[in-house]
Amino acid sequence: MSRIWFLDVPENWTIIDVASQAPATRLTRVGPYVSVESDGPLVVDRRSAGVRHAIWYSCVAGLSDSRITQWDKDTLRIEAR
Amino acid sequence: MSDLTGQHLVRGVDHAAFPTFDPAATVAFYRDVLGLPVVHSICAAGWGPEDHPDFIHFFFDIGNGDRIAFFYYFGLQPSQRLDRGDSFAQFGSDVPEYFVRSRHLALHVDSQEHLMEYRRRLDASNWPVEMQIQHETIESIYTHDPNGYFFEITRALRPVTPQEDLDANLTIDALVDIVSSPGHTLEDLLTRKAELIVERAAGWQEEQERAGAAPSEVRA
Repeated sequence: MSRIWFLDVPENWTIIDVASQAPATRLTRVGPYVSVESDGPLVVDRRSAGVRHAIWYSCVAGLSDSRITQWDKDTLRIEAR
Repeated sequence: MSDLTGQHLVRGVDHAAFPTFDPAATVAFYRDVLGLPVVHSICAAGWGPEDHPDFIHFFFDIGNGDRIAFFYYFGLQPSQRLDRGDSFAQFGSDVPEYFVRSRHLALHVDSQEHLMEYRRRLDASNWPVEMQIQHETIESIYTHDPNGYFFEITRALRPVTPQEDLDANLTIDALVDIVSSPGHTLEDLLTRKAELIVERAAGWQEEQERAGAAPSEVRA
């Protein structure tokens, strides 16, 4: 299972949307944070989220039992550790 | 006497001080170009056990009563210059540019109009804006002052929300927790931070609601 955390601020909303729109993902709110988890890898396309680099490269708040296997200008990919 | 234990008592920057070998250009930049008033100066003869030169210590108002200050030492020559750096420190070509630029002073303005006014003043001077950067949360202009000090003026595009203060604290606690483990990475920090989120974020939210804090911009 891969699980990523985001802080709930407006700049992250489209990223959270794109991450949680993938099939078989679960979105959980804990205080002002949102986690998105999936049994498989989680993949977010930066252009679909419509964010520029400063937000993109600082959007991840936490990782549970997961690792980042790709984080470049196009894609953020999280997989189970 | 009131108990001051644990209270946050300091009130901003009294002064941040830097050496200068070019006081005329320093005055031109801070007073004449940026319009920061000279608010204090000390003319002092050297004294003390060390071979301390005579000096001038002079201050500019950077707003809120905070000040940037300079030392000019009579007769002191700059030490051997390396490739890059400023009047305080020089760096060889082995040192990456991001590191050289990491230490800088950023002054705050309240609006884009005010930021652009400083841009106009700098662009008409010998120290034009080198970069203007805007992303979703801040907008900044950058130049180097006559002493080579990297200098920024910045504005916030929106106020910082309470949850960002929580997030900053969780980040720093996670950093402190992992920084002593050899070979630590950003991923280690994010893993530790997720644990702290699970431990503390729900309780923080309840506390905010109990305290009657206006709901920050949180999506339902």
